[in-house]
Amino acid sequence: MDLSVVVPLYFEEESVELLHQSITNAISPLKIKYEIIFVDDGSKDNTFMVAEKIAQRDINFKIIKFRKNYGQTPAMAAGINHALGNIIITMDGDLQNDPADIPLFLQKIEEGYDIVVGWRHKRQDKLITRKIPSKIANWIIGKITGVPIKDNGCSLKAYKRSIIQKIPLYSEMHRFIPAMTSIAGTTIAEIKVRHHARQFGESKYGLSRVYKVLIDLLTIKMLISFASRPLYWFTLIALIPFFLGSVLITQWLLSLFTDPSHHSFVFASVGVLLVALGTFIVTLGILAELVYKTGSHLIEKFSNLKLNLIGKKTNHEQ
Amino acid sequence: MNNKLSLLIPITETRYEDIIQVYNEYDSELEKLNITFEIIFIIDGEYPNITQKLEKLSESDNKIIIIKLARSFGEANAIMAASRQASGEVLLTLPAYRQIQPSEITKLVQSLNDFDLVVGCRNPRIDSKFNQIQARVFQWVVNKMSDFKTHDIGCGARVFKKKVLDEVQLYGDQHRFLALLAYRQGFKVKEVNLRQSEYDKPTRIHPFGVYLRRLLDILTVFFLTKFTKKPLRFFGLIGSFTFLIGVLGTLFLIFEKFFFGIALAERPALLISTLFMVLGVQVVAIGLLGEIIIFTHAKNIKEYTIEKIIGR
Repeated sequence: MDLSVVVPLYFEEESVELLHQSITNAISPLKIKYEIIFVDDGSKDNTFMVAEKIAQRDINFKIIKFRKNYGQTPAMAAGINHALGNIIITMDGDLQNDPADIPLFLQKIEEGYDIVVGWRHKRQDKLITRKIPSKIANWIIGKITGVPIKDNGCSLKAYKRSIIQKIPLYSEMHRFIPAMTSIAGTTIAEIKVRHHARQFGESKYGLSRVYKVLIDLLTIKMLISFASRPLYWFTLIALIPFFLGSVLITQWLLSLFTDPSHHSFVFASVGVLLVALGTFIVTLGILAELVYKTGSHLIEKFSNLKLNLIGKKTNHEQ
Repeated sequence: MNNKLSLLIPITETRYEDIIQVYNEYDSELEKLNITFEIIFIIDGEYPNITQKLEKLSESDNKIIIIKLARSFGEANAIMAASRQASGEVLLTLPAYRQIQPSEITKLVQSLNDFDLVVGCRNPRIDSKFNQIQARVFQWVVNKMSDFKTHDIGCGARVFKKKVLDEVQLYGDQHRFLALLAYRQGFKVKEVNLRQSEYDKPTRIHPFGVYLRRLLDILTVFFLTKFTKKPLRFFGLIGSFTFLIGVLGTLFLIFEKFFFGIALAERPALLISTLFMVLGVQVVAIGLLGEIIIFTHAKNIKEYTIEKIIGR
């Protein structure tokens, strides 16, 4: 199998037929072995019924039905886990992405990139509620993760299966897949894609709350930078309270000798508290180190990160 | 219904009656249903009398399976253990005492149909007012937290398809929440009214520990599980809030020092604000550690349940 196209669907009964049709039209001229996997994320409308009918006449088609709505990331994860193609393409189920772009992605992967991400450079969405917040979000995500992708929210992406199946996909992490893979050292390319205005219904996966994204971002940042040696980083952070605490304690000890009537127990106690915090953080660092050692296999692979992003045409090696 | 049915009767410390009588009533009711069935008794702990009686009983009835647990593991674990031994596709749990009128068993079993789980609800209730009040308080708390509303969390009569337990792992005292947990996993669940047995009337006052345990159960089931996949969302919120209190306190003390000349060295309040900051940092750090654990083990965590796959 050469290619798997994974599409999460949530209340998309109107789009299913059309989507299947346009994906097939885009891929079949390429003369490759492919499969299309739709994941019904617990829709309560006829999405599954429509898809089931397609499955009866198209042998390249597969539909996975969730028992209930779990969200976009688990839906993608399920599709990816069941995919057999060497290349996996994910896209939205709302017809806003254009399957006609798929050949471009395949071409980039053939050039040797591990991941190709789409950039909806002429985005057909509302300016104030969607485009501007997403611009800001993308800028922050790029700054913090060090992977300056213009459009993290674009679902149209292509991956080598060997890489994407190793990425832990949970909660709402699909936004950060490129950043996550950079831990393992992947080559990422970005290409411009078409974007259509919504034909049916409202946006079903809204831009979720800011707090969640911020916390996720903090997590990703930590995972990226702590990746190989958590103990080192935890110890580095612990040095601050250690140092402050030691200064206070030393000062108190000195004052015992120089000016016994004026020594302050408050400062001494604060000092002890800070030293205790330092010890606590180092201990956690040891635990984190243990967890890393016994856990993931993802972090082992530390090759060079190569980027080919629009606006940064040069492949810079890190 | 052609499927085989397995009746699970957990015998735990909470309550049990003369087991032979209970068996006779359940058995004769199930015979009326005209299906193949087996009866599994799970003995959760040391009950030599009951074990002996049941062993004798099983000699005359080969539908009986007895599972004796090495020590007391709690009702939820007893049900899990029994489900692994059960050969029926449909499982029915009934308490080891007469909680509902036996004639209602038929109604309960037949109402399963397309549903994945049907839980009983003793209605109308005829037991003591005290029982009803404590049940209602417990029920109210649970319904506040749950998106699937039930009306009798204490009812031990439930019928469900075996696959439910593949997705819902019960432990501790979570058997009460089976319906809610199954619903959360996307199973089709409903409640049916069953008439209460007159033997279920006497007032029950539990030791204080039982109420505490129930409260903790509610916490784990409805609160903690929400955050287990994103620990930092939970710990981060608590931690930064605590840290902020500490920072504000310290700033206030510094402000007082500069404008009112109160020396920091004489302020025990400084110790408290530092304590808050330290606590905040600790909580956030624990959250970060949690995230590392989830990240490195995410491949083993299944976040979704698949109902079916069609195609190839």
